[in-house]
Amino acid sequence: MLGDLQAVLLTALLAGTTTLLLVPIASPLAWWLARSASPSRSFIEAVVAMPLVLPPTVLGFYLLIMLNPESVVGGLWVELTGDSLTFSFSGLVIASVIYSLPFMVQPLQAAFRAVPESVLEAAATLGASPRDRWLNVVLPMAKRGYLTGCVLTFAHTVGEFGVVLMMGGNIPGETRVLSIAIYEHVETLNYDAAHMLALGLLFFSFLSLWLVYRYAGHRFEVVRG
Amino acid sequence: MSKQLVIEGSLQRARFKLELDLRIDLSDALGIMGATGAGKTTLLRVIAGLERDFFGRVEFCGDLWHDGNQFDQVPTHQRGLGVVFQDSRLLPGRTVASNLAFAMRRAPTVDAKLTCETLTEALDLNHLLTEPAEMLSGGERQRAALARALLARPRLLLLDEPLSANDADHRQQLIARLAEWLPAEDISLVYVSHAANELAQLTRQLIVLEQGAVMARGETELLLDAPSALRNRAVKPMTAVVTAMDSVCGTTTLQLADEHHGVVGALALGERVVLQREVADASGLGASLQPEPEKNQD
Repeated sequence: MLGDLQAVLLTALLAGTTTLLLVPIASPLAWWLARSASPSRSFIEAVVAMPLVLPPTVLGFYLLIMLNPESVVGGLWVELTGDSLTFSFSGLVIASVIYSLPFMVQPLQAAFRAVPESVLEAAATLGASPRDRWLNVVLPMAKRGYLTGCVLTFAHTVGEFGVVLMMGGNIPGETRVLSIAIYEHVETLNYDAAHMLALGLLFFSFLSLWLVYRYAGHRFEVVRG
Repeated sequence: MSKQLVIEGSLQRARFKLELDLRIDLSDALGIMGATGAGKTTLLRVIAGLERDFFGRVEFCGDLWHDGNQFDQVPTHQRGLGVVFQDSRLLPGRTVASNLAFAMRRAPTVDAKLTCETLTEALDLNHLLTEPAEMLSGGERQRAALARALLARPRLLLLDEPLSANDADHRQQLIARLAEWLPAEDISLVYVSHAANELAQLTRQLIVLEQGAVMARGETELLLDAPSALRNRAVKPMTAVVTAMDSVCGTTTLQLADEHHGVVGALALGERVVLQREVADASGLGASLQPEPEKNQD
């Protein structure tokens, strides 16, 4: 029971960290994808969307290869922090950021694309610098995109299983997230505990999606100030 | 202080070329006229720094705004502009008040007599201040955009058919107010319109554009008086140089090849102007492009 609570908290921490990290990572990327006419755009778009179609085990496998302490990146991380990226929480965060990238980028990209160039031009003629335009014109217009992106990223990270199993294993308090805990309960035929977590996850997922459709579906709302 | 606007250069599009060589003193308001697709809006966009494909130079009051392909030598937001686009472009998701506040917060502090209250009153916006921009009619949107542009406290106001969606009464009123406000606030004006009466009321000098080139230039009254001479005629453009100017009579002598012609209107000495020679008979086969006596100075 205490272990399950620990798994819930760990999962929330992982999903929260991933979401917070993805906002600044995905924003410029989505902006570029939405506005650029560069020929390399479709290539980057495909790379970003990869986690949508790739089996999590494949992604997890390659991350394991790339991030293990024997590898360049993993080795450097050990040098810097004294901690391994495999079978550790930090490793899970990195994996989740990559795995959930399209869930943040795509809603933002759609939101940015919906900001007409003409409106940005008008803002420029009113004396708004590029930064000012971004903060005070683009951001308010894209806030529903941010809400959708954050909820989907959070929920998707909560539901992560394959990637975690491949490169995080099942270490209580470190990498033992909800989905792994459920899996273990089922393996040990502890169906009651599995039910409790599974049902909780079911409701949580429904609630997040409902939130997205409820609040991100408004036709428009007025920005004050 | 001189309010000279210089636009020299060209912009090439697939089926359109804008080619300009203009030096205009904007102490007097400038009108721009021309058929749809003649390049009026593009010209305003070049002045506003929104056309990155324009190659050449744009200067205002001695400040170099656009140099070669450096379209943002001085970027749009630092040019001290007020622009009303044809499609108004209020910021969506904001109320009218919030749109006006957006301009006011970024405006330079100037000693302006024209207050927000005066403007919203005169432009009939008071009952719309709390409305979201999306809920406004076309005419209301235009008036809000005009108020917003003026509240940006511009040095140079660029208006592109700013009143087209308003009824005749509103238009008349607004033109009269603009004619009174702009000189008082020391705001230079470039006004694009199809409406001859608006141009006549607001501007002293006029440019007629055709297919991306200046086809006629002169005093608004003179040009508007002879509109038929400017349109629907087969013409041949030729470049002439101003060789003499009589400021008393307001006449100018132009040298075209080895001929000299006197025309009405003042131009700077040494300035090059494009003249349109009317073609006597453009329909006849083998029409020999015989020029008629030069009349329209362009």
